[in-house]
Amino acid sequence: MRMTPAVILVGILSLLAAITLTVVYWPYSTIDRTPSDIFRQRTVVEAAGRKIYLENGCVYCHSQSIRAFDWGHGADRIAQAGDYIADEPIALGSQRTGVDLSQEGGEHPDDWHIAHFINPRYTRPSSIMPPFEWLGMARIDTLTQYIQSLGFKNADIRMERQRYWKNESIKAYEAGPDANAKWLAEIVPEGWRNLPNPYPTTKASLQRGHVIYQKFCIGCHGPIGDGMGPAQPWIYPPPLNFTLLKGREISGGIIYYQLMNGITGTAMPYFKRDLESQKIWEVGDYIAVYFINQSDANQDPRGIDAAWEP
Amino acid sequence: MDRMEESLQNNNPTAKAFTLTSAAWFALATSFGMIAAGYLIAPDFMANIEFIHFGRARPMHVNAVLFGFVTPGLLAAAFYFIPRLLRTELYSHKLGVFNAIFWNITVLSGMIGISFGYTQGREYAELPWPVDIMVVISFTLVVINLLLTVRNRVEPILYVSIWYGMAAVILTACTYCIGNVIWKPDTGALVGIPDAILLWFYGHNIFGLLLTPLALAAAYYVLPIETRSPLYSHTLSLIGFWSLIVVYTHIGTHHLLQVPVPTWLKTISIVDSIAMVIPVMVVLINLWLTVKGKLGAIHASIPAKFIFTGTIFYFFVNIQGSMMALPVVQRITHFNNWVVGHAHIGVFGFAGVTALGALYFILPRITNKPLYSKFLADLQYWLVLIGITGFAIVLTIVGLIQGNAWYNGETLYRTLPEIQPYYVLRASLGAFIMIGAYLGLYNIIRTLYFNRGAST
Repeated sequence: MRMTPAVILVGILSLLAAITLTVVYWPYSTIDRTPSDIFRQRTVVEAAGRKIYLENGCVYCHSQSIRAFDWGHGADRIAQAGDYIADEPIALGSQRTGVDLSQEGGEHPDDWHIAHFINPRYTRPSSIMPPFEWLGMARIDTLTQYIQSLGFKNADIRMERQRYWKNESIKAYEAGPDANAKWLAEIVPEGWRNLPNPYPTTKASLQRGHVIYQKFCIGCHGPIGDGMGPAQPWIYPPPLNFTLLKGREISGGIIYYQLMNGITGTAMPYFKRDLESQKIWEVGDYIAVYFINQSDANQDPRGIDAAWEP
Repeated sequence: MDRMEESLQNNNPTAKAFTLTSAAWFALATSFGMIAAGYLIAPDFMANIEFIHFGRARPMHVNAVLFGFVTPGLLAAAFYFIPRLLRTELYSHKLGVFNAIFWNITVLSGMIGISFGYTQGREYAELPWPVDIMVVISFTLVVINLLLTVRNRVEPILYVSIWYGMAAVILTACTYCIGNVIWKPDTGALVGIPDAILLWFYGHNIFGLLLTPLALAAAYYVLPIETRSPLYSHTLSLIGFWSLIVVYTHIGTHHLLQVPVPTWLKTISIVDSIAMVIPVMVVLINLWLTVKGKLGAIHASIPAKFIFTGTIFYFFVNIQGSMMALPVVQRITHFNNWVVGHAHIGVFGFAGVTALGALYFILPRITNKPLYSKFLADLQYWLVLIGITGFAIVLTIVGLIQGNAWYNGETLYRTLPEIQPYYVLRASLGAFIMIGAYLGLYNIIRTLYFNRGAST
C-alpha cells in the first residue's frame, strides 16, 4: 500500500466520520429521554448551586453515578438514564475521592452541610476535602440548596422529613436538658430503650471506642464530650453535651440505636453504613464510661456470655 | 551535506520554540500536580486559597500536561523530523514561531481561566469556549504549516512518522471541536447521558488520536536512527497505523460500563478495548524488532533510552487498559486511584517520556551544539523513571485497597485513613518527577541560549 497524502487524509477523515456517527451520533439520536420516576426540574437557586459545584471542580472527587453493586452513600437508588436528562454538562465524575452524591439531598440537614463546607473535618474528622469557607455564606447557602436537591423527588421527601424533625428537635432542646434527654429516649423504640449494653467494659474495648470516637464524633461532640467540638457554632440544635446525661436513664440500647439510626433533623447522622455492630457498642460504651460517667455494660437483663468474654 | 540540509539542521526556530514551551509547561504542570497531591495529604494545607484549591489545581495539572507539556514536546520533534523526512524546508517558520507563541497564550489563558473558575466542568474538556477556539486555531495552524510542507516536498515517499504526525493533528482538530461541543458556547456540553458518551469519546481520543500517534511518530523516527537500524517492517507499520485509527476511536465508552448507556455501545467499547492489543503489539513488535540486539546503543543514547522506556510503558498501559475494560475487573478498578495510576502510566510513562526523549534528540540537531549537560539529562531520566514507576505501583496498590474495600461493603469514609500513607508516598514520587522537570528546563534553556559548547 502506497501512503500518499490523499490516501492518508481521505482514509483518516472518513474513518473518523464513520466511527463518530456510529459511537456518538447514533446513541445521541436514539437515546431514551424519558424522565425517571424521581426526576424533577431544578429551581433557579439549585441551578446556580450546580454552577458553583462545577466551577470548583467538585466533580473530580464526587461521582453522581450509583452502580448496581454499591454499598455506600446513596446505594439504595441505582442510577437511571432518566435521572440525567436536565444535566448540561452531565457530572457523572470519574473518581470517588469523596462519596457519591447522587442521593445526597436530605441525607443531612442544611446546618450539617454548612459546618462541613466551612471545614469538612468539623463534621467528618477523617475527611480529606479542602475547606470552602472562602466561598462566603451566600454561595455556601446556594451550593447547599443544590446538594439538597440531589436525588430530586426522593431528596424532596427526605428534606421534608428533615424539616419536620428539625422543628421537633429544636422544641425538645429548648425545653431544657431534662425534657431533651427524655425526648431523646422516647424517640427510640421501646425494645431498645430497656436494653443495656450487652458486652462488658474492658480496657481494650474502651481503647477501640476511643479510636472510633476520634474518627467519627469529635468534630461535633468535642474531645471531652461536652458538645463543644469545632462544628458547634454552625449547628442548631447544638451537638449533645453527654455530661448532662448522668442519671437521666440513658441505656446502652438508646445510645446504640441513636448512633445506628442518627437523629433525623439534627446534624447527628446515622452510622449504620460506616460502623459495624461491635464498633457502635464500643464507642457507645466509651461515651457512657468517660463522658456520662454511668455505664450499664454487661448488666441484667443479659443473655449467655459471648465466647470471647473472659 | 548540501545547503538545504544544512539550513534544515541549523535553523529551526519553530522546533526551538515548541521545545521551550514543552519544557516550561512540564515544570509548571508538575508543580500544579504537587499542589494537588499536597491537598490530598493535608487538606488544610494552603486552606481557602481560591485559585489553587484541589478542584482547580487538578484540572490545571491535567490540561497543562496534555496541552502544555506533552503535545508541544512531541510537536517540536514533528516540526524537526517532518521537514527532514520530506527533505523540504518547513512551509513557514514565521507561522511556526507565531504558532508556538499563540499556543502558549492559549494554554496560559486556559490555566488562568480554570484558576478563576471559568471551566466547563467536563474532564479534559474544561477549557472555556474562547480558549477552545484558540486551541482549535493552534491545531489548525500546525495542520496548515505541515500540510503545505508536505505539498512542497522533495521526497515523494512518506515515512510512517509523517502518517502518524499528520493524522494526530488533523484528527485532533476535528475531535476537539466535536468533544468540546464548540457549537454551544454557553455550556460546551450536550445534555444527559449523550454528553457522557461524547465526553469519553473525546477524552479517550486525546490520548488515542493525539498523544499516541505523535509519540509513535517520534519513536519511529528516533529509534532507527539512534540504533542505526532499518525499520523492521513496512507492512507492520501500515497495520499498526490503520488499526490504531479504527480501534482506538471505538473504546471511549469503556469509561461508562457502570452507567446506564446502551448495552450495544458498551459491548463495542469492551471488544475494541481488547482489540487494542493489535495496534499496540504490531507497533511494538515493529519497533522492538527494529532495535533488536541494539540495547547497548540504546543505553548509550539519552534520547533512545527515554523513548525505548516509553515503549515499555506503552506496552504496560495497554495490557492494563484492555484488562480494565473487562466489566468484572472494572468492578474493582473503577472510581479509584487504579485509574489515576493508569492515566499517569499512559500520558506520562509513555507519551511524556517519549516527548522528553524526542526533545533530547532534536536539541543538539537544532542548536548544532551538544546538549548542555548529558549528566543532567541522565539524572532526569532516572528521577522520572523512579517517579513514574513508583507512581504506578503506589496508585495501583491504593486502587486495589479502595476498590476491594468498597466492593465488600466498607464505606469510602472508612478507607480514607487506610490510604493516607500512600498519598504521602505518591507525593514524594511526584517530587522526583517535578525535580526532573525543573532540571530538564534548566538543561534545555542552557542548551538553547547559554551553551558555550562545553558538555559534561
